[in-house]
Amino acid sequence: MFENVDAVQQALASQNYVAERGLATSIYLTLRLGKPLFLEGEAGVGKTEIAKVLALLLDTRLIRLQCYEGLDANTAIYEWNYAQQMLHLRLLEASGATRSEMEHELFTREFLQARPLLQAVEAAASGRPPVLLIDEIDRADEEFEAFLLEILSDFQVTIPELGTIAAEIPPVVVVTSNRTREVHDALKRRCLYYWIDYPSFEKELKIVRTKAPDVEPMLARQITAFIQELRRMELFKAPGVAETLDWTAALIALDQKKLSFDVVQDTLGVILKYQDDIESLQPGVLESVMDRARLHAEIARG
Amino acid sequence: MSDRPGGNLLHNLLLFGRVCKALGLDINPGRMMEVAQALEFIQLGRKSDFYYTLRGLMVTRQRDLELFDEAFHLFWRRPAEGVSTLTIDSLGDKPRKKPKTQFLPPMDFDEDSSDSNLPPASESLAFVLTYSQQEVLRHKDFADMNADELASAKEIIEKLPKSLGRRRSRRYEAGKGVLIDIRKTFRRNMRYGGEVMDFPTRHLKLKPRPVVLLCDISGSMERYTRVLLHFMHTLANTMYQVESFVFSTRLTRVTHPIRHKSVDRALEEVGRLVNDWGSGTKTGGSLQQFNYRWSRRVLGRGAVVMLITDGWDRGEPEVLLSEIERLQRSCYRLIWLNPLLGGTQYEPLTRGAQAMLPYVDDFLPIRNLANLEAIVQELQKLNWRRSERLAHAHYILEK
Repeated sequence: MFENVDAVQQALASQNYVAERGLATSIYLTLRLGKPLFLEGEAGVGKTEIAKVLALLLDTRLIRLQCYEGLDANTAIYEWNYAQQMLHLRLLEASGATRSEMEHELFTREFLQARPLLQAVEAAASGRPPVLLIDEIDRADEEFEAFLLEILSDFQVTIPELGTIAAEIPPVVVVTSNRTREVHDALKRRCLYYWIDYPSFEKELKIVRTKAPDVEPMLARQITAFIQELRRMELFKAPGVAETLDWTAALIALDQKKLSFDVVQDTLGVILKYQDDIESLQPGVLESVMDRARLHAEIARG
Repeated sequence: MSDRPGGNLLHNLLLFGRVCKALGLDINPGRMMEVAQALEFIQLGRKSDFYYTLRGLMVTRQRDLELFDEAFHLFWRRPAEGVSTLTIDSLGDKPRKKPKTQFLPPMDFDEDSSDSNLPPASESLAFVLTYSQQEVLRHKDFADMNADELASAKEIIEKLPKSLGRRRSRRYEAGKGVLIDIRKTFRRNMRYGGEVMDFPTRHLKLKPRPVVLLCDISGSMERYTRVLLHFMHTLANTMYQVESFVFSTRLTRVTHPIRHKSVDRALEEVGRLVNDWGSGTKTGGSLQQFNYRWSRRVLGRGAVVMLITDGWDRGEPEVLLSEIERLQRSCYRLIWLNPLLGGTQYEPLTRGAQAMLPYVDDFLPIRNLANLEAIVQELQKLNWRRSERLAHAHYILEK
């Protein structure tokens, strides 16, 4: 476990994750207080990545629950393996077992399929708390949120046929949301909240250079400055950090040493995903955005 | 100064908690205990860690961040010159300027003129209608109603049916259907000793659709605004997931204030938030604000959008055209409610109306109570199946 916030920040950096002080503080407190971490922010700012990095740092399993509408207890907690139970029932019948024997035999751990939430509680109960990532909670419906409340505060699962499984040391929980709807306050209240914003120029440059070490320094600065300029424009969907990294990879693949008008125009689809946004960058506009980006990159060179 | 170690910090912390609560943050004693507990783990000397700890635990909504920051910096700022010997611990003993509690734009809402339309509550209770009066009232233009009539119109609005279109959710419930509920099948057939005799089935649950209301409150709509806001208030309070917005030159989200139980309080709160009452209309710009800032957050799950405007627009038609098109593409159904429609000789010939017409799914009048009933009926017809979208709403006019 980490001693202080600095240790967390350094550990994250060692895993190539550039985190500001605030995020490191929240992560540190999540680990110390055993409360879930609720991360909100625009798409592509590295919310999911945090859970992955945490699992690596703590040298533990990452259990991921991807949310979607209609997600229910059967798919999130546990489900009995009916086919196998049926088969077993037939065998028991053939052996002439009594009714109570049958029921006793049928509902055992062997026939239980653990889904992510039960997996996490079981792993934690066995002494190795995993990192549980509940991804894009805003995609699930309110019904799901409601039963998540219980799991997140007690970290225990009750299976009527088997009893209660409880984790003494809670798993490290990371909940993410893209804010396509408001998540209920009751859920947020149980968590530490952190809003991940788009990074500043310096931070984004650091991310680009950490994730793509072989990028030309000038190109890295220009890419970052260009993306930062785009975020300042009125776009329907501004590019996230994920797009910046994709674009960097694309430009490296195209053997670019610095931004050139034609290549930028041809690769706009990597960073902008709406036709209207691409259209709003007509040649004249694109030219001026690029000029500003080049200037910014030049200044940043110092 | 401090005889209790850490006592003053705790005292300050609780004080700060109260300030934040007064500012509308979601703070409770349990929360503050967690904060105190968390502070044991960090280096108190480092202000940024202290700040992030408090923020992480005390803020649960993005929109509260700014408020919290302002309060934090005012409350925990460095003591002024001359009192530099004081530590942060002793700050709580000093009387100190409280953070601003009023962050709302100044009140611009003309109370007098609006109140003249409204009779005192007692009067409206005493006003009872006969059947024929009700019939007349149902078809009377909102703009021509006097105060008494408006009051009873509002009573009728409150009695409108509340359920609107439904959608199929991805969640199952027991009932007739083609999908076999294996869990239930297994449980139920245990009683036959494992012989499978009946197959309980399940089907997808139907859920009400979310509704988004966008109401024009510009000068040209003035005569209808009061009644329409009342209509919005009723819908917002009785239906599932309603998001409300008003606009004239810019867009204001009024989802929370309009939900206030008392309609007068609700309208007062809305009035305090909005500072472009009765000015010109920039429908295109307002829709753009909606599309960019809100559509992704409120148009999920097959929302129905009701756009209430008379189609007079002083903005740029190109913006309106592209934004209304985007709006239609991102919702389940776009309904334009127009108070001028159905009036004698009204034709939607203004530039704004011409730009909008091709992109709305329904074009309905909203000038009297009979219209409101018709709108609600129309909405109830919306089911989980996607109804055919109109390529051009013009045909309603031809009918």
